[in-house]
Amino acid sequence: MRQPQIIRSTTFHWALAVSGVFAVFVIVLFGFIYWQTDDYLIARSDRMIARQLNYITGLPSERRLIAIDEHLAQDSRGVQYAGLFGPDGRKMAGNLERFPPELTMNDFVQSITVVRMLAAGPQSHAIRAIARRLSDGNALVIGREVDETREISHVVGQALALGLLPALCLCLLAGAWLSMRAQKRVEEVNQRVQRIIAGDLRERLPHRNVDEPFSNLAVIVNGMLDEMEAMIHALAGVGNDIAHDLRTPLTRARLTLERGRTNATSLEQLQTVVDKAVANVDQSLAIITALLRLAEIENSRRSAAFGSVPLHEMLGEVGDIYEPIAENKKIDLRVDVRHRLSVRADRDLLFEAVANLVDNAIKFTPEGGKVEIELLRGDRETIVRVADTGSGISEQEREAVLRRFYRSDKIRNTPGVGLGLSLVAAIVKLHGFRLAIHSGAGGRLEIICPDPQPA
Amino acid sequence: MALVSGKRTVSGSMGESPANAFAAAGNRLMTKVLLIEDDSETAEEITAELSDRGFEVEWSANGIEGLDKARSLRPDAMIVDRLLPGMDGLTVIEALRKEQVRTPVLVLSALGAVDDRVRGLRMGGDDYLTKPFALVELIARVEALLRRPVESRETTLRVGPLELDLIERTAKRGDRVIDLLPREFRLLEYMMQRSDQLLTRAMLLEEVWNYKFIPATNLVDVHMGRLRHKVDGPGETPMIHNVRGSGFILRAAP
Repeated sequence: MRQPQIIRSTTFHWALAVSGVFAVFVIVLFGFIYWQTDDYLIARSDRMIARQLNYITGLPSERRLIAIDEHLAQDSRGVQYAGLFGPDGRKMAGNLERFPPELTMNDFVQSITVVRMLAAGPQSHAIRAIARRLSDGNALVIGREVDETREISHVVGQALALGLLPALCLCLLAGAWLSMRAQKRVEEVNQRVQRIIAGDLRERLPHRNVDEPFSNLAVIVNGMLDEMEAMIHALAGVGNDIAHDLRTPLTRARLTLERGRTNATSLEQLQTVVDKAVANVDQSLAIITALLRLAEIENSRRSAAFGSVPLHEMLGEVGDIYEPIAENKKIDLRVDVRHRLSVRADRDLLFEAVANLVDNAIKFTPEGGKVEIELLRGDRETIVRVADTGSGISEQEREAVLRRFYRSDKIRNTPGVGLGLSLVAAIVKLHGFRLAIHSGAGGRLEIICPDPQPA
Repeated sequence: MALVSGKRTVSGSMGESPANAFAAAGNRLMTKVLLIEDDSETAEEITAELSDRGFEVEWSANGIEGLDKARSLRPDAMIVDRLLPGMDGLTVIEALRKEQVRTPVLVLSALGAVDDRVRGLRMGGDDYLTKPFALVELIARVEALLRRPVESRETTLRVGPLELDLIERTAKRGDRVIDLLPREFRLLEYMMQRSDQLLTRAMLLEEVWNYKFIPATNLVDVHMGRLRHKVDGPGETPMIHNVRGSGFILRAAP
């Protein structure tokens, strides 16, 4: 099962493709080098024979015969050819028996075939040769065998071809090894993922501390798993909170109804009992409604209707709505808007968030206190600040207030379901804004809206 | 409010019409409401409450039958649950709207998300009520649908001694000028268009404050308290009435 899997793997296919491309490249390179070498060697030998021809031509007639003999005598490998022929075609000197018939007397180096009489019999040779009619009417031929240059080219080609085979083998081996390695890691990851699917949320993917794609991916996935694990734990905690907060009013309703049924003796008494029970049921429903709203906001990532929201107008409106409520409680509600600032947001949601902050501030500020809504400009950010003179949020409570249903011990007796700040946090997160909770005397919460990054 | 004493017609056919005869004898045609709701217990409670308030109620437990009844009975108003066996509530409404049936429809649903609400209203529903709801709320909304203010070119609203000039944005009670803030004006305008009707807090929040959520604080009560303080001066007959646990009514006569 293992072998075919490797052959099927993408890595292996890539290795094969690379080997193929490599082979083609080497063959083309070989061709090119062969052709270049051949060309170069022939050009060199052509220059040599042309020079020789010129040299001999330049000598006085009587010295030519000796020069030709000397030239041939120096050639130990027997690759040089030369011949001096009289005007009637009679051989005067050299190792050519007669003027080669293919050769034209035009001072250009040409490829011809000559037959050489050796002890072993006649042997034909491909040579490069040049011929010239001299001033005294004689014809001079100088030639040089090119089989030798061909041989050198062949050697070069063979060397390249020999190199090609091991290179290809190496490519295939590397491909197989890489693909096996990848296969192994995928297999390992798969086993761990299976364990995670089976419910072991603490399992993580293996990674080495090196900058390598596989490890980087594992780190990213592990980060995601951390986040998910935290969320699932939080969810379980929320489940318990919900159960507790829903049970309380339902238990009260049940007790009231039970006692009323046994003890009520008149219609009025029964109605009082039922009213109390209905109020408790309504409280449970309010909790469910708030929770569903929270879930809706947290899930509405895409459907949010974003547009430009003029914050200065919106804060004024929030102030208008809450002013009478603050006044009833003898709280001084002030809206301090010095700038005209807009942000990109879902107007209804942002309104809800700010309204919640103001609602909270008024609720938790004692009579005679002060609540201030401010619109500020920070360093590349717009800040909506809601500050009050209430008890504030202590350092220890800062994390907790964002949890669902958290109600500070200080405010246990104030009505509410304790979802307000979670709602604000969810809305703020949806917009990519930040919620800052400042500790110290008096409550001070800020929605910080960073300016959009120029694209 | 003239209440006709309870007469239940839970699923009676329309052919025989003792109810009609009774209404005709009482010189007033009974308002016919078609309820399409698959949960029989909920339906029974709604039917009983509506009957107590003098409505004639027809009940269908599924969408297909409901659509047939809507076509044949020509009800004055409809209450339609969203999730129904046979045919989905919104499909029923859509089908009726295509046939140019303009009967006002109140959509009931356990789906409370803002998106669901918007969808319900876009498909032709006139109002949307999320389950669970208080019966008082349901009745108030059905009444509101039945007595929707007619589009009028009238620029002055009048209820008893109360007068609202929509162009000048001024309010008067008799000769006394009432100084109103913009939102108070909008609230009074909404209430005067629906005088003698019970307006619940949720209705006011949705229509006047355009709130899509219910804030924890009793916002409506505080604002209504202020408006009442301005409208009902010392020694004057109160016009804005608080109906305990339900909402508010603007009435000319005490």
